[in-house]
Amino acid sequence: MASRDVVAYKTPLSRIWNIFTVVFIAFYLLWTLLPLMIMFFSSFKDLLAAFQLPPVGAFSKIGLFFDFTPTTKHYYNLFVNLGFSTYFANSIISAGGSAIISVVLGSMCAYALSRYEFRGKPDLFFWIISTRMAPVVAVLVPLYAIFRGADLIGTKAGLILAFTTFNLPFAIWILKGFFDNVPYAIEEASMVDGSTRFQAFRAILPLVAPGIGAFVILCILFAWNDFLFSSIIGSGGAKTLPPATVQLVQPQNIQWGSIMAAGVVTTLPMMFLGLLIRRYLVTGLTMGAVRE
Amino acid sequence: MFSKPKDALYTSISRRKFLELGGGAATALGTGSLAVGMNSVMMRTPVQAASSQEAKMKQYAGSKLVFMSENTPPSFAIRDKIKDFYDATGITVEILTDDLPVVLQKVGIDVKGGKADFPVIYAQDKPIGAALADYLADFGKFIKDDTLPQDPEGYGADVWFDNFLDACGSMYEKGKIVALPYDAAVACTFYRQDLFEKYTKDFEKDYKYRMEFTAKTTWKNVLDYATFFKKLKQAGQDVPYGYAQHLGTFAWTTQLDIQRLMYSHGQWLDFNIDDVLGSKKPGPTNWGDATSVEMMKQFKAMADVSHPDNLANGTLELNTVYQSGQIAMQVQYHEFAASVEDEKTSKAAGGKTAYAPCPLGEASWIKNGGKAVNGTNCGIGGIAINKNASEDIQRAAFIFATHAVSKKVQYSVLTGLGGTPTRKSVLAEPDVVAARKRPSKMPNALTFESVYDFGIKAPNFVLGPKIPEVNEYHKILAAELTKCVAGKQSPEDACKAIKKQTDNVNDI
Amino acid sequence: MVSTGSGNAVSTAHDGERYVEGARVIEHMPASLNAVPPSRYYLWLMAPALIVLAAISIYPFFWLIWMSLQNVGAGPEVEFVGLKNFIKLWSDDKFWMGWILLFKYSFFCMFFEITIGVFLAVVLNGHRFENILITIFLMPMMMAPAIAGLVWYYLFNSTFGWYHWLFQSLGILGETSIIGSTETAMAGIVMVDIWQWTPLITLITLAGMKRVPRDQLEANMVDGASAIRNFIAITLPNIYPFLLIAIMLRFMDNFRFIDVIMRLTGGGPAEVTKVLPVYLFDVSFVYFKLGRGSAIALTLLIVTIIFGKLLVKVFESPASKRIDQGN
Repeated sequence: MASRDVVAYKTPLSRIWNIFTVVFIAFYLLWTLLPLMIMFFSSFKDLLAAFQLPPVGAFSKIGLFFDFTPTTKHYYNLFVNLGFSTYFANSIISAGGSAIISVVLGSMCAYALSRYEFRGKPDLFFWIISTRMAPVVAVLVPLYAIFRGADLIGTKAGLILAFTTFNLPFAIWILKGFFDNVPYAIEEASMVDGSTRFQAFRAILPLVAPGIGAFVILCILFAWNDFLFSSIIGSGGAKTLPPATVQLVQPQNIQWGSIMAAGVVTTLPMMFLGLLIRRYLVTGLTMGAVRE
Repeated sequence: MFSKPKDALYTSISRRKFLELGGGAATALGTGSLAVGMNSVMMRTPVQAASSQEAKMKQYAGSKLVFMSENTPPSFAIRDKIKDFYDATGITVEILTDDLPVVLQKVGIDVKGGKADFPVIYAQDKPIGAALADYLADFGKFIKDDTLPQDPEGYGADVWFDNFLDACGSMYEKGKIVALPYDAAVACTFYRQDLFEKYTKDFEKDYKYRMEFTAKTTWKNVLDYATFFKKLKQAGQDVPYGYAQHLGTFAWTTQLDIQRLMYSHGQWLDFNIDDVLGSKKPGPTNWGDATSVEMMKQFKAMADVSHPDNLANGTLELNTVYQSGQIAMQVQYHEFAASVEDEKTSKAAGGKTAYAPCPLGEASWIKNGGKAVNGTNCGIGGIAINKNASEDIQRAAFIFATHAVSKKVQYSVLTGLGGTPTRKSVLAEPDVVAARKRPSKMPNALTFESVYDFGIKAPNFVLGPKIPEVNEYHKILAAELTKCVAGKQSPEDACKAIKKQTDNVNDI
Repeated sequence: MVSTGSGNAVSTAHDGERYVEGARVIEHMPASLNAVPPSRYYLWLMAPALIVLAAISIYPFFWLIWMSLQNVGAGPEVEFVGLKNFIKLWSDDKFWMGWILLFKYSFFCMFFEITIGVFLAVVLNGHRFENILITIFLMPMMMAPAIAGLVWYYLFNSTFGWYHWLFQSLGILGETSIIGSTETAMAGIVMVDIWQWTPLITLITLAGMKRVPRDQLEANMVDGASAIRNFIAITLPNIYPFLLIAIMLRFMDNFRFIDVIMRLTGGGPAEVTKVLPVYLFDVSFVYFKLGRGSAIALTLLIVTIIFGKLLVKVFESPASKRIDQGN
């Protein structure tokens, strides 16, 4: 808000600027919303209606987009015939499970890393974060071998662990930043009052709780939106929403209506969650480098 | 056509029922749980050759198998009726369906890792069968085994349509069968009869012959038709484009698309190998020879008059383009007839579309002295058994495989979701015979004359190339071909590039 | 790295308490509280996470190295070939093309995302509806890339896609869809990335702009400097470290995720969008050439790690220390 009252002079230039900004924002708004809107409306369209386009150049007939009888049959089809309730549950369980495990293990590790100085700490820290940077395609085959060896392929437990491979390093990295900001004096005080070291750790948890909550959600978001792991590791028994949606592209007909409906079902909850943690989003998506 | 995968049956078997079925029987008959794979469970009740058919069917009652399949109608239909199989055998089968490339990924990782998470495998002839043949069990030993229930029709080459058993079952070794024909995709021509009739007079004025489609129609005619439609379109008339090719993301069907053209002209083959058996050491490829360069030129010429979005359209998208009435012809797989004839999704439905065999070779384009044929190719999806699985799982898998390709099942798939039978006896059914004529209850049957009575027979049918590196070969070919179509390299250079890379892959 | 005490978790907790009891005994000597706490307690706290990470990262890493030295053929046989896979990569055009395209793709994504994203931040900063607008703009980021790929595929389709219709109606494109031409396919996949990730740049830039020292801005305003000059002279230097971080993060994500490309073009047409990870996917999961695939994967991994190192350097640089202090 630093610069708000600074730009106060009304010059012709600033007026043009103002008009320009309004136009730009309007365009960007349209650019952002149009694909989402088309997805949303198409999910209520019958296949033939979804394929209706006005003649090229006929902007006056753009209303054709809204010219359809809404049908909820695609949603019905998804949940009743195509087993999407199972996939939805799989998504919730595996994304949620991995988020919780990541944040629990992650906060313990991050706390220790924050409080404990030892030789090689920067290297250890870098190693932790590098496990998240690894291109998924590059490590998928050996990971599959490990998971197969542990009989985890096609199970929700396996998928939870698979998501943890990218969520845990993320959680450690971010939460360390949070603990770094909590003065050691608080633990000292608590220990002086006679609590154990572990109780002292628990005592400072409320201070970082909002952050932790936000990162649980962010971990859910990453896991929920994952495609490669869930299609290879979760194959069969633990299919989540993104691979289930992609599978609606079938050899003899692409079920666009159902795909759009599945897109809505997959995306809406995440948008809602995104709203909830809006404040922590920058921090999370920049791995803690930027605070808002 | 929406599939309705019911909940897999095993979820409805309570633990107690399970014990009754398997464990109970085990105690009584001295059997036990023999092998537990990833998702498979094995229960066995020994039988003798003299045992009743029912006993043979039920010998693996209580077992569970996983079938990894492509998301095509037969698998949906079998999944819908999986209870029939369970009632007959007591074996639970979980059917997983995926896109073919994903099936390949999953099956590949499974078998290469020495595992058998998927004891029953959908083995599309070249991409999976030829690539992973070493990991598929030989059906020969099961067929001869009289302690297993056998199909009354047997499994000889003559119970299937011509060449089908060889196409998906014969890989590299004579006498070994790695898969039984499960479903089929055979190419034929789909064209807009209504438009052909409407414009034939105009066409005749320019080209001095009628615009029609028969088994004698050549690739040159197709080029003429496509050119004619494009001119009309560019003159501002409300007509579709004439033609489009299979050039999108799916490399295999791109290879098949040009293979039809090449085989039509002197039966050109990619490698000098046995077309039926294929070879693990194919030697240098024939790409780069005079025929291939000529065909590449003609393919490019056809691309130039095709639908403008040619490069974006794979097989699936191509069919959508045809359905939406934007092209007047496509060489397409006969399994797509059902979707084209579906009034709810297609503007080409309701008698507008007619079917013909793949186009004939044009004599003047032949460079190698061979003869002109109606080059037809296919993807025969076989059902195969994972060799890594234990003997008993393999035997149980065999019981399921024979069920999946049985006449009864194929017939019900055809009448239900619109499948593509592989067994001759299915076509002999009176209502299937009736469906070959409009109005048809089974639209796929409209193509049967072009496909089963003509295309798949010698000399038109090409099965290969069956080589272990087939998937990389497809990708190389598709990449260079599309570069040529996009105008980024000349046909000569495209052929040379294909030869260089293919020979490199095959260690020449 | 983890102390190999034979005790289980229960006895550990006990260990921990003993130290604490020790601390309580010397309660009246506060100075000693500043002493470094016993390391074993912290090690136990770290152990579970480190074990999980080790299991899922060390084994794959060595597996990749080992596999890259093998030739995996079509059959089950595996043959040790030394560095042959790497030598072959040297003459593999698709490998080099993959790198070039990966950088090209990343460059275009970065260029447009930074330009649009920063501009959007400038426009939004202090705007009446800043909060609600940014919230709306963030929505694409929440969408699974695989789904975004499908949705945009639907929009771009030349038969029924509304965006194609729009492009055609505006005369930008002919009848060929954006992903159906070798000239425009790259633009198609870049567009989706811009749609999803420009808001991240905006968000980061906004966070940076909130921290631009106010007195500097005011001083300049009095001088009558225009908003743009003001931005270049003061704001940009201030948000520069933020942008650097954003660039590197996006860059690494382009290495990691290929969902959108796989759905939209699969690397086509004519391989103009076959960035290295897509090629790697083909080699490992379509051809099952695990030896060659591992060699490619290792090169990708190494470059990613180098980028990671650079990123961490930026994190720890004095410039970005300001980022935290501003908090």
